[in-house]
Amino acid sequence: MFNNLIARAIVPITIAVTGFVVFGCLLLYTFIKSDMTDEAILHVDNLAETVSKSARYAMMQDDRESLRNIVGNVGTLAQVGQIRIYDQEGGIRFSGDPQETAPGAGQQADDPWASKMMQPDYPERTKTNHNIGGDSGLISVSIPILNESKCSTADCHFHSANEPVLGFLTLGISSEPLEKTLDLLRSRMIVFCLMVLFLSIGGVAALLRMNLFLPIFRLTYCAKQAVAGATVKELPKADNKLGRLEKDFRQLVQQRDDALQGWQTTGSSPFDTENGTAFDSRIGTDDAGHRTAAAAGPSQNS
Amino acid sequence: MPDIEPLRLQVQAKIRKFELLSSSGLWILALFTAMSIGASRDFDFLPSLSPEIHEMLGSAPPTNFINWALVLYGFSAIIMVLTQMTGGKKPRGAISHFFYLSAFYTFYHFSGDLHENLWAIFTVGMTILSLQGYHVWNYYKDKVREEQEILAELNKLIEEK
Repeated sequence: MFNNLIARAIVPITIAVTGFVVFGCLLLYTFIKSDMTDEAILHVDNLAETVSKSARYAMMQDDRESLRNIVGNVGTLAQVGQIRIYDQEGGIRFSGDPQETAPGAGQQADDPWASKMMQPDYPERTKTNHNIGGDSGLISVSIPILNESKCSTADCHFHSANEPVLGFLTLGISSEPLEKTLDLLRSRMIVFCLMVLFLSIGGVAALLRMNLFLPIFRLTYCAKQAVAGATVKELPKADNKLGRLEKDFRQLVQQRDDALQGWQTTGSSPFDTENGTAFDSRIGTDDAGHRTAAAAGPSQNS
Repeated sequence: MPDIEPLRLQVQAKIRKFELLSSSGLWILALFTAMSIGASRDFDFLPSLSPEIHEMLGSAPPTNFINWALVLYGFSAIIMVLTQMTGGKKPRGAISHFFYLSAFYTFYHFSGDLHENLWAIFTVGMTILSLQGYHVWNYYKDKVREEQEILAELNKLIEEK
């Protein structure tokens, strides 16, 4: 089944083109996904940085009401899924969701990522951390609120000068729009992939069939007819797509017809003709290169 | 006339050998599929490397570099296999392709982006190994056919005797 001429021509092309197109699309999707995720991270970083800078002034002024308002207002933005300010022990002090800071609420970080980050021995406690694709469905950033000389010496509340981190601001935006865009991109890429595959494989198959397989099939059919005894005039008309091969085949059939005709008129076998003149007369007319070594004679082979 | 029977047995042994070799491409494909299943589980069945070995190996190359290396490798490997096919050359290099692909899985595993790029390596691997397998199958089937023709001639000679 996979061993004939058509299979040998089509199967490797199909495998190579399909594989490379799918591979290219997968890689392109990975690149685009990575770029879009980086863009989303940059966006959440900028938003968190803005909140952090606004909150810092309110903190220095010990203006808790302003701080609560800033956090609450940012929390009302449609894209913001979560905004919290934790103290250094991991307790929620301010949140975009008022229920989290209501009296009687747990007020402890319930997010495993946030809990891990706020552990005193966590090595990257003083660095900005990101959480992408977690269970919460948020693209989150955590910015540590670092101790500054102004903080430890402020009148409002005292922090020891050797405490590097005073708290954390975490902000998460929903990854749903990104997921939706990526889903759309994926489905469009599948359609594009199928289109390219149908066009390239179908196109190659059609071209091969038209320019190669059909002429070969036609020649095969002619050979079969010739073997069955058809003369050159009875053979289907040549389309000349195989060029020299087709001409030579027809010439061979013509030579056989002439030899048969000569044999019928003279009554002797074409192979008994002196020096094979019945064949030589035809062979010699067109192309000396087609003469057999025996027909050409010993002098021509030397 | 010399005894044909040893020659006949030799040809039959060759046919068996070529038939066995013709399916070797499928074995490599199966091996690669098994490795890909392992990769999809992030090689959790293998013991994890100690921090000393991690330190000795150093940090993994950036994912972008591995991606471009994979594109380059995939393109070159496909061209190489197609060249082998068109030239009718003896198929070689299936095992080395398997090891190259395993190396890509390992690099992505250490860079932490294996899950993201698993399907890309799987696709390029299946493409290369399927092409190679098809070439192996065709090449050895042709050899089997040649030997079968010789065997048929030998059988004829034995019958004439």
